[in-house]
Amino acid sequence: MSVNEFKKMAYSSADEMVFGESKHPKHYGLGLKVGAGFVVPEINFAPRPGTEKTPESLVREYVDYITKDVLERAITLGFPAIQIENEHIFQMVNDPEKFEKPVVIGQKEIMQEYHDEYGIACAIRHTIADPRLHEEGLRLGMDTKHTYPEKMMRAFEVAASNGADVISIESVGGKEVADHAVVRQDIKGWLFGIGYLGSLDMEWLWPQIVDIANKNNIVPGGDTNCAGANTAMFMAGGYMDRDIPRTFAAVTRAIAAARTLVAYECGATGPDKDCGYEGPIVKAISGFPSSQEGKGAQCAHCDMMGNLIAQTCDLWSNESVEYHPEFGGSSVQCWLGVIGYEAALMNASKQLKSEKTLRDIYVASDRFRSPEAFILSFDNAYKIGQAIVENNGSYYLRAKAAGLKAAELIEESSNEGKLKLSAQEKDALDRILLDLRSLPSEEGKFVDWALKEYADVPAFNPKNYEL
Amino acid sequence: MLDFDNISSDALLTRYDIIAESKEKPETIAEKHLPKDPILRKVAEDVLHMKYKTIEENVSAALKDNIPEDVIEKGLLKGMDAVSELYNRGIYYLPHVMVSADAMDRGIKLAEEALGAGRRTKGEIIMHAAEGDPHDIGKNIAAVLLKSNGYSVLDMGKDVAVDDVVDKVTERKPLVVTGTALMTTTMSAFPRIAEKLQINGVETPFICAGGAVNREYVESYPLGIYADKAANGPNLVNKALDGWDWKKIRDKWDGILSGSE
Repeated sequence: MSVNEFKKMAYSSADEMVFGESKHPKHYGLGLKVGAGFVVPEINFAPRPGTEKTPESLVREYVDYITKDVLERAITLGFPAIQIENEHIFQMVNDPEKFEKPVVIGQKEIMQEYHDEYGIACAIRHTIADPRLHEEGLRLGMDTKHTYPEKMMRAFEVAASNGADVISIESVGGKEVADHAVVRQDIKGWLFGIGYLGSLDMEWLWPQIVDIANKNNIVPGGDTNCAGANTAMFMAGGYMDRDIPRTFAAVTRAIAAARTLVAYECGATGPDKDCGYEGPIVKAISGFPSSQEGKGAQCAHCDMMGNLIAQTCDLWSNESVEYHPEFGGSSVQCWLGVIGYEAALMNASKQLKSEKTLRDIYVASDRFRSPEAFILSFDNAYKIGQAIVENNGSYYLRAKAAGLKAAELIEESSNEGKLKLSAQEKDALDRILLDLRSLPSEEGKFVDWALKEYADVPAFNPKNYEL
Repeated sequence: MLDFDNISSDALLTRYDIIAESKEKPETIAEKHLPKDPILRKVAEDVLHMKYKTIEENVSAALKDNIPEDVIEKGLLKGMDAVSELYNRGIYYLPHVMVSADAMDRGIKLAEEALGAGRRTKGEIIMHAAEGDPHDIGKNIAAVLLKSNGYSVLDMGKDVAVDDVVDKVTERKPLVVTGTALMTTTMSAFPRIAEKLQINGVETPFICAGGAVNREYVESYPLGIYADKAANGPNLVNKALDGWDWKKIRDKWDGILSGSE
């Protein structure tokens, strides 16, 4: 496993963690400070269908419409700082020179103009799409059909050398096994997919991203287990959904934290990705700035912790919104208003020295809304972080420890009558506890077993992980 | 730090899922689907109880006294019918369906070996995730639900080129073709597929779904029929099997999904 493990928690106690403060603040871009006593809105968007047809139409959409609209609204509302995030679409990673480069250049140029004219602090994160196909090969030289691994690394280079301030990714290592496991409610398979295989892929991928960022003097942000734990979270859904139990999704989130941490162990410095709801756990261990999303991301999806997840954020995001007109302006302008005002609320509470009160109110409103919200409450997130640190030395053992700790926290609160569980949630929790406790205490034994057990999972190729 | 355990969550949220929990016993609901014959019943119960690791033993036993078609139709599929009803009533969750389907698949494979050929299915469905889109979990769930309802599935995988889909559909003339996309910029493959299929004279209903996809978009191009979740698949495909063309399925979409059509 990666060498630069965190030997201890970044914070001496859970209560020390609060939004807008990180142990390792970052200064980058056009005067932006993150995690330095201030919460910054991070606005994200998707172009309208059809605009991806030509580089010209894509640049017009991203630069002339979206980025300009965002900056205009930020100035209009008096927001002192913003971060823009561009989550690249497939066409930009498939042909970086043609589609990605002019967008990256164009966005930075217009940001520079507004920065020069108004002094607004701003920066842009470019999140490279991960188009790699497990069946074709995740590593360089394996995918002879599409060469996606090579294209992906090239896309990082193009972004980093043409205007990105932060580079990030939502990487997909282990997803083929996790997808198989999540629809079968198989926590052992999910642990193997994300906790083990996902970590191995991160260990391969992130040193390369860090090198590119360092070479271009920009920030290697961080990753997210969007491909795994968010799939589980969205499938678990809310009170009308019956795809998978929410207790299962909660435990996957804790396992995912052990995997997302690997980016930092490989040299990433934050801020991590907004959709990584495992952020509070990762921040408790690493102390790096964290981007989060919740009630201001209802344009993208419905989660069960809209307030709570703001508790320890440094950037507050809307996840993504398709560009289109609304009554109050374009969609990016409206949702920037939502997240920008929330950031202002958090920042006002800091001035009034009431930030921990506001943090606790955020937590109180959602703590018992779902098991996932419960385990991500900063006090519980801290305990899960401790379980990870105490089990360093093995990707498998620390991911297992994180999952088990989450399950035990849920069980304890449920037994006390605080966190209510449906019959399905309770049944799933009992099975998870049984399954995780039945696993071997040696990584080698687990991996040998898992390689046989999941050998027939479609698209799973151990060579993708050098196994 | 507050003592969060003092929070009364009842004042902040309502657990509608717990209020709506079914009081019916799964066994009672399943009983009406299960066969009376004790050997076939064991096979159906293996599907119902997700015994994918042991089902082959009971299927082999059933094949000694029953023709393979009966083992499939009166045993395996009856078990799956019970699972489907429990899922539709919200008593079973998706993983129950997936693992039951794994068990059913193993049983069907064994029965088909005894049959010496593939069984007759209700029809073929060609499925794919859009060009440039690596997300296919929704497609995989839909494939299982369709197979569980007696259809055969030709799964072309993810990130499938427009022309490959068009060629395959033109060649095989399936009952229905499906496409899924998570991103707004990959779902634009769907109207291109529809247009090329029509140029080839193919009018196959084209069910489109996925996170980025919405009904208005899908109904903006010919052949397109929207599905907002994997569970819609069998209901929509059943109408194609009844001979409805894509225009009629689209017109009656609300009624099909509400069960009034």
